[in-house]
Amino acid sequence: MSDGGTARPVRPRPRLRTLGITAGLLAFTVFAANEVGFDASTSWEVWTNPLWEMFWPIPWDWVLDRSNVLDPLVETFQIAILATIIGCGLALPISFAMSRLTAPNRPTYLVSRSVMNVVRAVPDLFWAKLLVTAVGIGAFAGTWALSIFSLAVMVKLFSETIDNADPRPLEAARASGSRHLPAIRTGVLPTVLPEYVAYALYVFELNIRASIVLGLVGAGGVGRVLEAQRQFFRFDRVLGILLIVFVAVFVIEQVSVALRKRLV
Amino acid sequence: MIRFDDVSVTYRGGVQALRGLDLTIEDGEFVVIVGLSGAGKSTLLRALNGLVPATGGSITVDGAEVVGASAAELRALRSQIGMIFQTFNLVNRTSVLNNVLMGRLGTVPAWRSTLGLWPADDRERAMQALERVGIVEKAYVRASNLSGGQQQRVGIARALVQEPSVMLADEPVASLDPVTSRQVMGDLRRINRDLGITTIVNLHYLDLAREFGNRLVGLRDGELVFDGDIADVDDDTFMEIYGRAISDDDLVGTEDDLT
Repeated sequence: MSDGGTARPVRPRPRLRTLGITAGLLAFTVFAANEVGFDASTSWEVWTNPLWEMFWPIPWDWVLDRSNVLDPLVETFQIAILATIIGCGLALPISFAMSRLTAPNRPTYLVSRSVMNVVRAVPDLFWAKLLVTAVGIGAFAGTWALSIFSLAVMVKLFSETIDNADPRPLEAARASGSRHLPAIRTGVLPTVLPEYVAYALYVFELNIRASIVLGLVGAGGVGRVLEAQRQFFRFDRVLGILLIVFVAVFVIEQVSVALRKRLV
Repeated sequence: MIRFDDVSVTYRGGVQALRGLDLTIEDGEFVVIVGLSGAGKSTLLRALNGLVPATGGSITVDGAEVVGASAAELRALRSQIGMIFQTFNLVNRTSVLNNVLMGRLGTVPAWRSTLGLWPADDRERAMQALERVGIVEKAYVRASNLSGGQQQRVGIARALVQEPSVMLADEPVASLDPVTSRQVMGDLRRINRDLGITTIVNLHYLDLAREFGNRLVGLRDGELVFDGDIADVDDDTFMEIYGRAISDDDLVGTEDDLT
């Protein structure tokens, strides 16, 4: 260039820190494997276990019988849809209370934030067990457990989106003498609504999978059937159920991902 | 009438943006405020409608005290004061009409605006405001699809729909090209003359200040260093306000300068 004295920079050397971190990770892996008694010879025992032969052949008559798998699968989806609507519906106002940009005052901000942190700290499986104990085995407990899970995930994602929203329309609303709620509704909500819908779809995807896991602890749906067949050592049926679930989850995810891409 | 009486603003970080400012503006005046960035122009406007709280002195608008006003008093005051911003501050993902309706937030009941149930009367006013700035045909277009000049007109319409007695414009043309800048400044002056709205405009460009202002106020380091008729202003006055010689960057210029 024409200005004198602008020398090309020297290419930076690969950093010692990167090498150090890699070496540290390797050392920790070996240490952890030793501690838990993992050694390569045991993996042979796992994969040659006669258990694996019990997965074949798949009893398609039983698997495709509506009342065995498909009806519980529909129940799983019903749980997931209901939980998504309840959880994400509750998350909308709570997220605005949890965001620095839109919280009406500092106490609301702090209280909503800490309550949601506590809710998130309790694992979803534990919520499910708790609710099964409280309201009995079945889809009702599963729906509530999953609603709480959806709420916890949603407020985390959405309140961060609100934090990063453009504050300038909000200033314009305040400058025209607006109260707090209408200012948020008109100045912030339209800018974050597409993200809200996209996150709700994402939470729905998580819920489909999570509702199957929750079924394992008695919270209804296809997970309960899966657990029952496992307990009877009917692994051929288990494989059939897993295949059906895989196809259903795959289709739903593809649709949801396509929808989300169009939104944001 | 607007009165600043020994007003100071100190930000939380300790920066003194205004120091002992005295200023009186009569109804219907068109005042241009100039000064370098950081001189306190923006703070002056925001102290007037309480967006930035003054830390000392007294500010009154038609007799109502701004400093130390309650939240309800501030809302009532702000609904009487329109504001226009350098970056337009529109909601990009919604229609022009919805943006203009935001100017009615200070008067429409909160539940109505929250649910989006704007009274027909307010929609009509919003349409009239868009007609006044000449872009009513864009009412149902998304704000993000407009050009910069059109967006600022939406900003003006949003302030107009408040039916304000005072209009504050914070660097309204800093994001616009010279031709559009003159159009927008012309809109502001026309509104000032036709509707008698007291107008205070922060400007960086000195040639625009000369072309459009009646009264000029100069700020430097948070202090008022000039207040007088624009006709009495020459380059020496600007040098005094800016504390340095005038350069091309201080002029918006004309379209010819670009070719």
